[in-house]
Amino acid sequence: MEHEEQHYEPFDPTKATRPDPALLHYYIIVSLFTVFAFPFVMLAMYFKFRSLRYGFDEKGISMSYGILWRKEMYLTYRRIQDIHVTRGLIQRWLGLASVSIQTASGTAGAEMTIEGLKNPEALRDFLYLKMRGVRDVGHEHGAKASEGGASAAVVSGGADDEAMGLLREIRDELKRIRASGGVK
Amino acid sequence: MVMEKQRRQAADWVYGGVWRVLTDWFKVPHAGDAPTLPARSGEMLKQFRPADGWLRMVKFLFWLFMWIPDVAILAGWIAVTVVLPILGVILAIPALAVAVLPDVFVYVGIHLKYDTTWYVMTERSLRIRRGIWIVHEMTISFENVQNVSVRQGPVQRYFGIADVVVDTAGAGGGGGGKHGSTMVANQGIIEGVENAQEIRDMILARVRESRSAGLGDEEHHGEHVVAATQKLGFTQEHVMVLREIRDEVRGLAKSA
Repeated sequence: MEHEEQHYEPFDPTKATRPDPALLHYYIIVSLFTVFAFPFVMLAMYFKFRSLRYGFDEKGISMSYGILWRKEMYLTYRRIQDIHVTRGLIQRWLGLASVSIQTASGTAGAEMTIEGLKNPEALRDFLYLKMRGVRDVGHEHGAKASEGGASAAVVSGGADDEAMGLLREIRDELKRIRASGGVK
Repeated sequence: MVMEKQRRQAADWVYGGVWRVLTDWFKVPHAGDAPTLPARSGEMLKQFRPADGWLRMVKFLFWLFMWIPDVAILAGWIAVTVVLPILGVILAIPALAVAVLPDVFVYVGIHLKYDTTWYVMTERSLRIRRGIWIVHEMTISFENVQNVSVRQGPVQRYFGIADVVVDTAGAGGGGGGKHGSTMVANQGIIEGVENAQEIRDMILARVRESRSAGLGDEEHHGEHVVAATQKLGFTQEHVMVLREIRDEVRGLAKSA
């Protein structure tokens, strides 16, 4: 697959496990707006920041946070309906963004909101290229054939000949055995 | 004529200044810095804004309604001046400010909205950017589109524009909130374009082509079924060789 030139580094799913420290700054600023509730909100936000973990694997994204009240989520790339990137003023100053992922479930809000990752555009492109209708179907089949081994090999054109060759060999062996007077 | 030119220059200068503040201090993406979508080589990529007609329409609506609060403020000020002339004199400048400043803000806001709204389309997906204080970008792949519609009010028809509404099965109908009715979570609204029918037909063609329901099912389901039967079904040649093998085995069994 060839894509337009990108002016940012491609997203590395193996490194994106913890939010950037800038997210903590963002949380501090946001909780300052709550004035009197600041200590409580800040504490909750701090716990969230400390426990926030992301994981991007072959099939989907996992996200978990919380110390006393834990929340763990997993969703597959294929079920992504739409991707929203929202950048408020403070987030833009800190180079952050909220990447919200919608699935077809009935909940009102976004299914998963990934915040605190630098380079949100790269993350979005990464997710976008895994969305249904965007991935190359041909590419997908290629990937399956390579990982699926023997069963996938039957589907492709070259393997048909291999099966054919095997059948011919069996036939010829049998012929030879019969010609030499059968199995003794 | 000279006055007109100077007025235009001054307006450009002020507007340029507003943009400078927004981009440099508030990190708003530059007006010309259109969002993009990763496209395959040779894939169509269209970046566009609402049509000029949209700007004309919003300005028309602005002039149509802006005088109502202004007249109300003027009437209030006249009433105060008649009763208490001194208070009227003191209030003259604040009243003028209250009447005129919101108009200026709204007018600049209209231009800013026009300049910050971007639509990007490829053959596979759609991206919409909106917003100044909160920059919101949504991405939809046509594979996931449930429904496409065109809507046009009488005023829009007069200005030759229409909206294309693209619905997905995404969560959160009505919960979008932040940007009012134009930024619902599962709905992409391409507002104020001249070729709404064309865009609708293009997206619909893609939706019809797709065999899936857009709910996370495997794309091109039909092709998978074909592949599966091919996997099980042997060709004529295979069958011929298999028959020969059967005959050989029978012959072996007899001779044994």
